[in-house]
Amino acid sequence: MVTSVFIAAVSLALFWMAAFTLWWQMHAWRTPETLAATRFDRPDGGPARSFSLLLPARHEQAVLEHTIERLLESSHSRFEIIVIVGHDDPETAEVAERAAARDPARVRVVVDTHLSKNKPKALNTALPHCNGEVVGVFDAEDQVHPELLTHVDHAFRSTGADVVQGGVQLINFHSSWYSLRNCLEYFFWFRSRLHLHAQKGFIPLGGNTVFVRTDVLRDAGGWDPDCLAEDCDLGVRLSSSGKKVVVAYDSDMVTREETPGSLMSLLKQRTRWNQGFLQVYRKNDWRQLPTPGQRLLARYTLMTPFFQAITGVVIPLNVAIALFLDVPVGIAFITFLPAVTALVTFVFELVGLHDFGRQYGLKVRLTHYLKLVVGGPFYQVLLAGAAVRAVWREQRGRRDWELTSHVGAHLTGDSRDNRDSRDSRDTREDVHA
Amino acid sequence: MTSTLPVEATETATGRTTETAPAQLSPAPSPPGPVAGTAQRRLDKRQLLIRPVVRFRTSRADLLLCAALLLVIMTVQGWNIQHYPTLSDDEGTYLAQAWAVQQGEGLAHYTYWYDHPPLGWLQIAALTWLPSLIAPESMTVGTMRFAMLLVSAASAVLLYVLARRLWLPRWAAGLAMALFGLSPLSVVLQREIFLDNIAVMWMLLAFCLAASPNRHLWHHFAAGLAAAVGVLTKETMLIVLPAVLVTMWRHGHADTRKFAVTGAITACALIGLSYPLFALLKGELLPGDGHVSLWDGVTYQMSRPGSGFLLDPGSGSHGVFQSWLYYDRVLLFGGVAGALLLLLTVRWSVTARALAGPALAVAILTAVALRPSGYLPAMYVIQGLPFLALMLAGGAASVTHALLRRGRRPDERRGLTAVRWTALAVLVAASVAYVAPRWYDGNRTALTADANAPYRAAVSWMATEVPDPAGTRVLVDDAMWLDLVHAGYRPGLGAIWFYKADLDPAVTKTMPGGWRDIDYVVASPTVRRDAADLPRVRDALTHSTAVAVFGDGEDRVEIRRTTDATGDER
Repeated sequence: MVTSVFIAAVSLALFWMAAFTLWWQMHAWRTPETLAATRFDRPDGGPARSFSLLLPARHEQAVLEHTIERLLESSHSRFEIIVIVGHDDPETAEVAERAAARDPARVRVVVDTHLSKNKPKALNTALPHCNGEVVGVFDAEDQVHPELLTHVDHAFRSTGADVVQGGVQLINFHSSWYSLRNCLEYFFWFRSRLHLHAQKGFIPLGGNTVFVRTDVLRDAGGWDPDCLAEDCDLGVRLSSSGKKVVVAYDSDMVTREETPGSLMSLLKQRTRWNQGFLQVYRKNDWRQLPTPGQRLLARYTLMTPFFQAITGVVIPLNVAIALFLDVPVGIAFITFLPAVTALVTFVFELVGLHDFGRQYGLKVRLTHYLKLVVGGPFYQVLLAGAAVRAVWREQRGRRDWELTSHVGAHLTGDSRDNRDSRDSRDTREDVHA
Repeated sequence: MTSTLPVEATETATGRTTETAPAQLSPAPSPPGPVAGTAQRRLDKRQLLIRPVVRFRTSRADLLLCAALLLVIMTVQGWNIQHYPTLSDDEGTYLAQAWAVQQGEGLAHYTYWYDHPPLGWLQIAALTWLPSLIAPESMTVGTMRFAMLLVSAASAVLLYVLARRLWLPRWAAGLAMALFGLSPLSVVLQREIFLDNIAVMWMLLAFCLAASPNRHLWHHFAAGLAAAVGVLTKETMLIVLPAVLVTMWRHGHADTRKFAVTGAITACALIGLSYPLFALLKGELLPGDGHVSLWDGVTYQMSRPGSGFLLDPGSGSHGVFQSWLYYDRVLLFGGVAGALLLLLTVRWSVTARALAGPALAVAILTAVALRPSGYLPAMYVIQGLPFLALMLAGGAASVTHALLRRGRRPDERRGLTAVRWTALAVLVAASVAYVAPRWYDGNRTALTADANAPYRAAVSWMATEVPDPAGTRVLVDDAMWLDLVHAGYRPGLGAIWFYKADLDPAVTKTMPGGWRDIDYVVASPTVRRDAADLPRVRDALTHSTAVAVFGDGEDRVEIRRTTDATGDER
């Protein structure tokens, strides 16, 4: 009897968690009108705001030049690009200086002299140098659409927003089984879930293609240099203090990125986000949110990685209990509820993959659908691993950016190039999905 | 305060946007490079709003019409409900099993053998739960038919909503509701405690959700759930599912359709699978020694002896068909004709396209009824009733529109307009003249006849004239079984569903002496008819004498007491 009640309670709790997550994940497709509203409005050619685009770059000499060139192709009339390089990174600095020399009116270089480096410190270094009315953040390998700034400008003007978050999309779904899932995570997050957060007034921002009014950003004191998820933190602080955040997603105007190069770097990246989410949770800025519903959403969203980890373990256990232990049929039915919800989520992911392929004109093959299904449980294990690792690191007080240790190592060590590329990838993937 | 980008979609909430010209495509005053794709998308945003939207809950006229019709339907269906039509064996079965559920005896007081999914009588148990708590003896077929009024009411309202969501004009929606609720065939069948009636309600809900004006993902998902519940209530609803799908497809929007339709199918499949899962959890999925199984139940239903071709005058199916026609020809022939008309005019008629889903339902149901051989139960027609009514109303709307509007020019001569209206008036008058007397007769019978007096008399005799009910074993037809239980007979092995004496091993093993272990047989028409295939019941009938007879002719109910070998009463 006690077992039955316990099992039923656990199952129902899991069911509601899974159901809410699914509900939110599918937000954009609720009605055709909701879907239409997630897009950028067509710019009407009104007066333009000026932009300062921050481009932190670290050991990214290979891609930086192309990124700057592409940004300069933007159709917007008023913007400057501020490239932030480290004082210990002459190769990247050289590329940046070259670009600045070619177009001194629009490209500048700021040198970050912090001893231990991370992205929020780099961004804070550049903040005082921004002349634009709006600060935008990109990563050094981003492919930015030339029309994006114009659309963002219009979004600021037509909605009176303080923050505009554009879409970011991982594209290389064919690279590996986990990149397939990773791409789809981004798709559901930026295409759908983030819009719900904007609507509800609590939003963890992404790490790039994010635009904030310069005065708002300065008032907020810039980015938190000690937080491992400084972008999420900024979003939480701004939305909790009542700033208006607008999200827009257009498949032809998203910033395209690539998934981490190896499973290990994905795990590290995810660990850092999870730990960052934990830190944001513990900073308690979200408690300023006015309504209990918003606070609940905040609490739940920031804890999601850990719920995910639990669910991944408990759902199979539950089904096993229902099938092999002697529990009443009614209770057995209840234990199946979370599994059923997970199954529905699976199906929607398959449809999402199809839609993703259509939106980006990519050919999704049968094997990809199979990989998505088969890879599901393993990805769940990865997420659970990252969640556990994050808690463990946070408990041990290891709040450094994992890559900094690498930076230290490669200054003396060999096989430097190899490490460089992996580290820099770690620094770049700063969008939470 | 944060929000997604506002779109000009807010006016959807206000209802009718009858704009037909989408946003202009002409180049806007040189915006800083809006690509062609954006202009196209802008157009899409507007296209979302073109359809008129019917908001039932805020439309006073709709609410009033629907409420008035509902009142009439409830009066006609409710008045004399316990006396007409004749109590049916199946009603007794389902209500008795609902009673067993309420008593906490599981899904039935005899072994549940997967004859039908149990969801139907679980719902009956829930519907009758409160009255059965207040007055336990009210749990009899005649009394509990009143619970079916709730189901009929829900179905009738849902049909009206569906008609409006399929863009029928208000009068046509009202017509559909009236046809559905007031046809003598509907009145007779919807009064009875049949699973089909409950399943129809769920299916109508599924159709309404599939045609949701919001085109909301979770409405479509819920449509899948409702459809699955419908199927689990009465499994024959399975064949109507494609029609729900067509409705959903037509009402979805290209941008969100794949999510909505996949979601609905998934929901439907998952709920549907809960039935085999239930069997699996009980260890009764596959056949095995010493237990029933879902497999056996399905095999039985699939292998039921066919009742012949519907149009073959000698067949059982033809008999069933005739019994439907006896109550009403208008709905059957008119509905099928309406469906044909709509399916043939799909290319030209807006109404026909809107009603494609229900028309498909009628087409499928007709095709299945016309298969050369197969089992055709009398309640089969129940699942077609709402769709037939909708077809007839849709056909009427289509014809009316053609008469009044087709080829009409703004400067049409008044004479021609008068001709149009006269033609319509003649048509309406002819229809009313044809239908009204027939329906009046049919419904007058339903409102006044008492077909169950013999049953009541028999029950009362059994309750008062038998000295020791608790120690007496009676074979009785399911319709009267609960009455005997309330009179003090032991449920299951005292008051016995007559066919269980031959078919249920758990019952036969308590009767080593065959008919000698039985004291009474309440021989209703059903018992006498089925005894042909049930040796033990047949024996009991032959070795018994009538001690009381109520009614006369074919419909009489006899109470027969068994006699021992010497011919003396036991």
